[in-house]
Amino acid sequence: MSLDRSVDVPRVKSRRVGRPAWSIIASRELFELWVGGKAIVLLIIYSILLGVTAFVTSNNSELELIPPKELVFMTLSTAISIGLFIGLITGADSVSGERERGTLEALLLTPTSRRQMVSGKFLAAVSPWPLALALALPYLVLFAQGGDSWVQGLLWGAFVGSLLTLAFTALGMLISIWSNSNKTSMVVALVIYIAFYIPTQWAGAAQTGVTGRLFKKINPLESGNHFLEKVLVNNRTLAEFWPWLIAPVVFILLTVGVLFLFAAPRIQVDAWMGEKGS
Amino acid sequence: MRFDEFTATGTGSEVLLAEKVRKSYGDRTALEGLSFSLGAGRVLGFLGPNGAGKTTAIRILTTILKPTSGRFVVDGIGSEYPMQVRSKIGVLPENLGFPKEVAAIDYLSFYGQLYGRTSAQAKAKGLALLEEVGLSKRARSPIRSYSRGMRQRLGIARALVNDPVVVFLDEPTLGLDPRGQRELLELVRRVARRAGVVLCTHSLSEVEGVCDDVVILSSGRVVASGTVAEVIGIATRSTDGRRVIRIHVPNGSVEDAQRVLAMVPSVIGVTPLGEATGWVGVEMVDPNGDASVDHHVTNAILEALIRAEISVLNFEAVGGNLHDAFLQLTEGASV
Repeated sequence: MSLDRSVDVPRVKSRRVGRPAWSIIASRELFELWVGGKAIVLLIIYSILLGVTAFVTSNNSELELIPPKELVFMTLSTAISIGLFIGLITGADSVSGERERGTLEALLLTPTSRRQMVSGKFLAAVSPWPLALALALPYLVLFAQGGDSWVQGLLWGAFVGSLLTLAFTALGMLISIWSNSNKTSMVVALVIYIAFYIPTQWAGAAQTGVTGRLFKKINPLESGNHFLEKVLVNNRTLAEFWPWLIAPVVFILLTVGVLFLFAAPRIQVDAWMGEKGS
Repeated sequence: MRFDEFTATGTGSEVLLAEKVRKSYGDRTALEGLSFSLGAGRVLGFLGPNGAGKTTAIRILTTILKPTSGRFVVDGIGSEYPMQVRSKIGVLPENLGFPKEVAAIDYLSFYGQLYGRTSAQAKAKGLALLEEVGLSKRARSPIRSYSRGMRQRLGIARALVNDPVVVFLDEPTLGLDPRGQRELLELVRRVARRAGVVLCTHSLSEVEGVCDDVVILSSGRVVASGTVAEVIGIATRSTDGRRVIRIHVPNGSVEDAQRVLAMVPSVIGVTPLGEATGWVGVEMVDPNGDASVDHHVTNAILEALIRAEISVLNFEAVGGNLHDAFLQLTEGASV
């Protein structure tokens, strides 16, 4: 053998007979997430938070005056906020966790493309979201008080919630890819979540005026919430309020695009090697 | 063989050929001109002090890092096809972690599938490998219940799931007790029956015991490569071909030994070492620098002592082991 004589490489590629790599990795990640118990724990915490919120809402005499549609929106908003948080921290653990446990190098040494690896991990990380939405369903039905507002709430909630959860999961994975330690990844994810979430809790006065409205429109979480509120509570149409979906859509395109097109091919054993992986 | 004499043209049976592989980070050069070859069924020791560039070299050869220049070929596949190279190599990284709650067979099955096997094929291969590394009885036990030695053996089994032609083992015996080290080195020898092995280690006795060839790196450069004997020869011989051996004889025989040894051809000096220690230093010269001539001279020395009925209690070449050779070749490098 000499350096000048290499074999015809495509011949080597044809040996694969098993499942695609992304599906194998997704299966393992799902097993670790669900059988390992992490997703279950997160969903239990989510259920408790959702239950407490619903209990307070249904027992507060002042809130009794709130129409069912608004109660459905409030529940949905809480479910989405917590659901995307689960996606964010699951994503934030996906690569830095493996890096910290020393299992990433073995994975990178297999003939699996980095993108397939990220695809498998991404699918597993978003898996708690459908269940989180399903867990919110009884509350939506309860607060609809016999009406059918829960159906519309479920459909629009699934749409907006999915946009935000996918985007935040991708953001979590980006943080994870660029963090050497899991602790760093988690702290950064938490800070980013708070930065997005706090403006949604500001008083109404802070959200008026040009600056207030601009902030509201560019924050995907706030923008998505505003869209849901208008569509579910005020019976406004998609045609009227679609501009409020621009931020969530841009956000998901940006995070998922950067994740798969830029960050995934650059996953390395150490986070800051600063070069594209091979 | 010195690096500047070396060209990675190969003889035809090599499974790994590297030529002028270089890696730099900005102005800093981590690896310069790494060239060597590894034959099928041979074990190559990869040595160097801390910071010598071993990890960088291994990461390049295992496709984790891209070289700045140069290339390597694994079983006919060039380094420009990293995915295909990965399907031909097996690696036991230095700090390999394991998913602790997963059973060993499921762990191997997962990796087997990533190399293109079906689930059933991967499981069958995993069981065969666990049998081979002596872990078949613990196949269904979670990895958290494994000792360090068992985990290292499992790591080697993982490195073999794709039937690699080259296996890289980075510090495989680190942290193992002497029995664990011995068992693991026996396993390395078995692995070498079916693949070329690159053994990266700080244990020079391991290299002497297991390796056929050795590459010594220092400050990012290859300072010696060749068979273990050749590398020891490079370090042992001074530029003018002089070598020193030490012979231990009974105290009362030192003068007789001096007289007898002075008459041996190629011996140019015999000096007692210390007072009444019984050790004698014998300086000999080999003007041609030929290792085979060295062996003739040392045989002649021993023969002369035996004929004179002088007991030889001990005998050693100064610098005649890999440890001394390593220290000499890497002198001045950071440790």
